[in-house]
Amino acid sequence: MGSLFSALDSASQSLQAFEQAMDVTQNNVANANSPGYADQVPELVSQPFQTGTGLTGGVQEQTQDSRDSYADQAVQQQLSLQGMYQQLQTSLGPLQSVFDVSSNSPIPSALNTLFQSFSAWATQPGNASYQATVIGAAQQVATAFQQAATQLGNIQTDTNNDIQSTVAQINQDAATIQSYNVAIAKNATPDAGLSAQLESTLENLSSLTNVTTLPGLGGMVTVLVGGQTPLVIGTQVNDLQAVNNTSSTAGNPGAAPTISIVDSNGNDVTSEVTSGSLAGLLNVSNTVLPSLIGGGQQVGGLNTLAEGLANSVNNVLEQASTTSTPPYQSGSPLFTYNSSLPAGIAGTLAVSSTITGSQLAAADTGPPVVANGAALTLAGLDSSNPGPVDGQGFTQYFSSMASSVGNAAASATTSASAQSQLVAQAQSLQQQVSGVSLDEEAIRLVQLQSTYDAVGKVVTEINDTLATLMNMIPTD
Amino acid sequence: MQTTTEYGDARECIQAARHNLRQVKRLLSQPSAGAADEAAALLRDVEVQLGCVAAVLRQNGSKPDLELRSGIEELQGEVAVLARFFAEADKMFSGWLRAIRVRRGGYTDRGQAAPLVLVKKLSVEG
Repeated sequence: MGSLFSALDSASQSLQAFEQAMDVTQNNVANANSPGYADQVPELVSQPFQTGTGLTGGVQEQTQDSRDSYADQAVQQQLSLQGMYQQLQTSLGPLQSVFDVSSNSPIPSALNTLFQSFSAWATQPGNASYQATVIGAAQQVATAFQQAATQLGNIQTDTNNDIQSTVAQINQDAATIQSYNVAIAKNATPDAGLSAQLESTLENLSSLTNVTTLPGLGGMVTVLVGGQTPLVIGTQVNDLQAVNNTSSTAGNPGAAPTISIVDSNGNDVTSEVTSGSLAGLLNVSNTVLPSLIGGGQQVGGLNTLAEGLANSVNNVLEQASTTSTPPYQSGSPLFTYNSSLPAGIAGTLAVSSTITGSQLAAADTGPPVVANGAALTLAGLDSSNPGPVDGQGFTQYFSSMASSVGNAAASATTSASAQSQLVAQAQSLQQQVSGVSLDEEAIRLVQLQSTYDAVGKVVTEINDTLATLMNMIPTD
Repeated sequence: MQTTTEYGDARECIQAARHNLRQVKRLLSQPSAGAADEAAALLRDVEVQLGCVAAVLRQNGSKPDLELRSGIEELQGEVAVLARFFAEADKMFSGWLRAIRVRRGGYTDRGQAAPLVLVKKLSVEG
């Protein structure tokens, strides 16, 4: 009888195993579109004959997770790069509107008007109307610089706020991962649902910053930022913080401080954030904006331009005379700015509040004396060679700044577009890899890589042809 | 009348090339050797179409044409995206292959991924 009961028991176990396998399949179908869900493969294996208990074989269900950690990591890496490029594209957009090279944008337009007013004044230096036009045009220039400085300041504030909110999102994701780790640790058997939620959170986290995930005990994951800084270890979370690096502005008072990312022990881990939207924001806040409006180590292009313009114009006026006959009367400076704040020159550039038209000095005392010599020098200041700002004219210097912002934005757009395709590829490979043998996978990848290599060469040739075509069509 | 039709062929070629490049971008979103081959064929067509533009320009002489120039500039942008895509895809596939080689053959004495050797295998069922 014992053997009969054993046989029935064994058959019942086998039925349970098939039922579990059916459940797994049903679960797969139900979660086919769930984000981050990996196919669960029900595998039926023979149960060994056990003489001691009298079990007569049968089957036992074991669920094998087809999740491929490398495929997951490849997707996370690509998402991280996509996050960075998309952020750069978003953040550099408003900068492009400040540094617009078209003649309608405030700074080039105001500079153009100012130099035209100098030319007109040179024709009749004593004409009060022309003198007033010069002062009015100078006022426009000062306003344009102030507006640009304010806009850049606002972009800096917005970017820094975005950094704070991104760090908060990272910490929130870390807390979510920690809660999954706690749940995973409590479960005796792997839970595909938890695993899917964990993967989905990791993908979201990857788009915010570059993370490395390592398998931990009992299915828990360890998450590191930049491969070194622990964010989540098992059931422990180490929050990140974005702090103002006040020491960075010690040599340049008035400049916006750089932002540092510190770990829970207060260590600066900014250099480990190399991709994700946080890296894009840090790049804009700590590198791009300081190069334009000033930071700890630099005065900033806009301030250099404002200072160069004010000094050049003031020097000419102060060395000239308001009269072309003795006694000579030195001219007054046209522009003022706060020289104690090198990173705030553009923001404080103004027309001298005491200057009047008659104080504008047009005469070059020479010898020989030229009644409109200084006015002519001012009119030709922008096209003088070498130029007054780092060897460049004012308009040319502004164009160089606009060009560098434009190139960075165009490069970010190109990279973001290419990265979207790479994310699609990585996700496609992630989908395909489940249940596919490594041999088949390797063959497919070698084929793809060699074909891509060949296609890549065709693209290079097309690029060369396009460059030739561009040169064949003149612009005017 | 001549002015409007002078670059007509060149514009058509540019439009066709742009259409092909869009197709290539779409194909490359789904990685497969077939899609890559098809993309290669389309890109060769693009090469021919650009050659056509160059021939037309040489024959008719180069005149300022903002529309044609902007068409070529946009095409250049698309090509820049593709070039970047291939550069990054190469890195991604290399990473995949290294991971697979490690799984199949482990590491060599020098700590590198073991070479992957494809062998002829025969599976017999039944």
